[in-house]
Amino acid sequence: MISYILKKLRYLKLLNVNYADDQKKQGTSEYGQSTPIKLSQSLEKNLIAIRNLIGNNFDVIIREFSFGDHINVALIFLSGMTDQSMINENIMKPLMSESHSSQNETLKIKDIAQIKARILSVGGVNQYSSYDEIIDGCLSGQSILLLDECNEALAIMTTNWKSRAVEEPKTESVVRGPREGFTESLLTNTTLIRRKIMSPDLKIESMKLGSRTKTNVCIAYIQGIANPLLIEEIKRRLNRIKTDSILESGYVEQFIEDAPFSIFSTVANSEKPDAVAAKILEGRAAILVDGTPFVLSVPMVLIESFQSSEDYYSRPFFASLIRSIRFLAYFISIFAPSSYVALTTFHQELIPTPLLFSMAGAQEGVPFPAVMEAIMMGIIFEILREAGVRLPRPVGQAVSIVGALVIGESAVTAGLIGAPMVIVVALTAVSSFVVSAQSDSGGVLRITFVILAGFIGIYGIVIGQLGVFIHLASLRSFGTPYLSPLAPLSIRDLKDTIIRAPIWAMFTRPRTIGWHDPERQEFRLKPSSPSEETKEQNKAVR
Amino acid sequence: MKRISFCTFRCLIICLILILGTTGCWNRRELNSLAITMGAGIDKLEDEDVTDQLQLTVQIVKTSEIKVGDKGNSSADAFWNARNTGKSLFEVIRGFTHQSSRKLYWPHNQVIIFGRSLAEAGIREHIDFFVRDQETRLGVWILVAEDQASDIFEVKPNLERIPAIGLANLLKAQKASSQTTAIKLDEFATRLMSKTTAPIAAFVKISGQGSKKSLLVTGTAVFKQDKLVGELNKTETRGLLWVLNKVKSGIIDVVSPESNGKVSLEIIRAKSKITPEIIEDKVHMKVDIKEEGNIGSQSCTDDLENRQTIKKLEDEKNAAIESEVKAALSKAQKLNADIFGFGDVVHQKFPKEWKELESRWDEIFPDLEVEVTVEGKIRRSGSSKKAVAPAKE
Repeated sequence: MISYILKKLRYLKLLNVNYADDQKKQGTSEYGQSTPIKLSQSLEKNLIAIRNLIGNNFDVIIREFSFGDHINVALIFLSGMTDQSMINENIMKPLMSESHSSQNETLKIKDIAQIKARILSVGGVNQYSSYDEIIDGCLSGQSILLLDECNEALAIMTTNWKSRAVEEPKTESVVRGPREGFTESLLTNTTLIRRKIMSPDLKIESMKLGSRTKTNVCIAYIQGIANPLLIEEIKRRLNRIKTDSILESGYVEQFIEDAPFSIFSTVANSEKPDAVAAKILEGRAAILVDGTPFVLSVPMVLIESFQSSEDYYSRPFFASLIRSIRFLAYFISIFAPSSYVALTTFHQELIPTPLLFSMAGAQEGVPFPAVMEAIMMGIIFEILREAGVRLPRPVGQAVSIVGALVIGESAVTAGLIGAPMVIVVALTAVSSFVVSAQSDSGGVLRITFVILAGFIGIYGIVIGQLGVFIHLASLRSFGTPYLSPLAPLSIRDLKDTIIRAPIWAMFTRPRTIGWHDPERQEFRLKPSSPSEETKEQNKAVR
Repeated sequence: MKRISFCTFRCLIICLILILGTTGCWNRRELNSLAITMGAGIDKLEDEDVTDQLQLTVQIVKTSEIKVGDKGNSSADAFWNARNTGKSLFEVIRGFTHQSSRKLYWPHNQVIIFGRSLAEAGIREHIDFFVRDQETRLGVWILVAEDQASDIFEVKPNLERIPAIGLANLLKAQKASSQTTAIKLDEFATRLMSKTTAPIAAFVKISGQGSKKSLLVTGTAVFKQDKLVGELNKTETRGLLWVLNKVKSGIIDVVSPESNGKVSLEIIRAKSKITPEIIEDKVHMKVDIKEEGNIGSQSCTDDLENRQTIKKLEDEKNAAIESEVKAALSKAQKLNADIFGFGDVVHQKFPKEWKELESRWDEIFPDLEVEVTVEGKIRRSGSSKKAVAPAKE
């Protein structure tokens, strides 16, 4: 097994070296190809060329017509990605009717710039002169207008396709707070953020990733708050991506994350515009990927997983209570099964006597050791969860009912599994849903700790815990220590960790994230009763 | 990752795997492989012919009988009293492997009971195992049975399912009356290790006959060195506890100053201090007791609600407490057993003189002069001021 792992590692290393070589070669070859093929003067030639490139697709429509003084033009667009009525009303109609009604000077229009300036009543119009640009534009939903005897083309923004409306996100529902969530459309998503932060400093920079999917990826940040080095680093990492497809933000995440072999993710994701806006306002940068409602944000710290946007909308006392309960639930979800295994197989003396009796009574006649029970139950739970998530809802319910009956009732009455173990596993399962951002790392840790506890009891749990802490302390996310503000300790930033301070008390941004323009608000904003002066003023008014 | 060479990496993985193997399952035990011991009774067999004169009775919980869900409908005993004999205690304990399918598990042991005959013969050799072994605990109650310890475990308690737990709870409840010495192994062993202080333990008796048998915990067993020499009754025991600063609560009955009726005073808090003095080479002890209490009940119809009456009641209470202490003292001096730990107090205060006193302590103690001062207070009179009777004219 070891030799197999080593072989794999060597292979990975080799890939790395080869990749570096490739990159060098590609760099040179790209520059060699950088002169794009220009459009020719003849419409016929241009159309032939375009037909050769994309013409045999059923959704590509090439409409040839003429207007005015028999000027031949061609309109090329994708039927599914364009607004038909817009093409009819704002492109075809002006061109054709204009040329017929006033037959004086417009007839002489042979210049494409004049069409753009005087006829087309559309907002976004670009002028392209190469095939590459035309094809790219056409495939992203623009309509291309080709003119005879002209070596330039107009790309008209008619982009419109069916997309999901803004709905309440499935992953992060709230009781209090905005209910809108990101959609699959990049433009909608940037709009949602823009609507939260109407500042000219909000910059949304775009780039295309994926040689075949040509996915639009945007970086959103606030100039003046976000660290410029961070933005530079994000761009550097994004530009490194040389792949043919980006289908979801998860692709991007795995290409740019700091610790690809860590069970902890160093890139956060969210479906809620308000959460992302808050992160941007703290000095983070958001990475939006077209085609997914999940927006990435970097840098990420561990504490973020325990924060919910609702914490800031409800009053601080309850929010702090809920925060601490989240921490508790996370620890339960990781340590409950392993502690149970350790206590029942190694440290029975730590269990209170009456509890020991009932636990021993329940364990009487159970055929498996506690470790086996814990691992089996854990796996069964994961199977049930997976089945429930993927299946359509009515079937999913059936699965969960069967699972709950089989595991909860029958296994205990049949004497296959002790009742306390069922309780522990159920508690763990419920707790693991509380901190959903860390549920994947929690699952791995849980199983690891159960195995360690099965070998050497609490000693094993402590060793494992130590290892996890060392690992966490060594993690960085885009230069920010993963455990900050707890380690390295930043007392000023503790206001938003286990305790959520009132909004008026959080007058600085977290210093570990950016620390540019640290002041969020004025210092003395605590609401208080009116001062003597204002009281007297009020009296005078009365 | 990249910096670590493959050789180091290989070594690391091999080491990790080896570490797991070496520590292995060295004391891995499932819950259903334990014989959870709740109590141990040690007796000396009187029979002269028998060579194995040490008998150990252990009370083991039958966990299958306490299964959750059966709502106490099973009439079967939830315990099993296993008996084994031998020459030394550890040998006897290991000998249980011949009759018990599960290994004895000691950490939850509640009580250790010594039979009277064994206590009179000496217990030092039998205590050692319980102090030394890593599975046993020092928080276990120590008792002395009036007769055989093994009989105690046969008496089914009325409220608990397991006799040993019933007995342990009984001892915990004793602080409400402070008339029994409830002592744990750690303190017992400390006293046993002292040169002068005498160990004490609670006495447990069986009262009633046949199926109406029940356990009774009362008084104090007094040891001299490691041998049982005598016992204190309820009053003497509380006298002892006053000095040891162990009185938590309790009732003192005094006579009403107005009539002959009784007034019961409840002890709320008490504090004591022992100060040794050496005057002209003679050791004197001063015991200061401070006590606060309430009026718990009155059986007379007197009006106690005035300062003079309260003062008189306080004086009577002080006298009662003093007489309790004196009774304990005279009994201890008669037995020549320093149950109060006066020797250790003198040792701490006068370490130089102690060197000389230590060897003579057995002669000094019976004639030791002890001055007892009691300062008792009555603070409250409960929820009612007057007696439940028509007001007197």
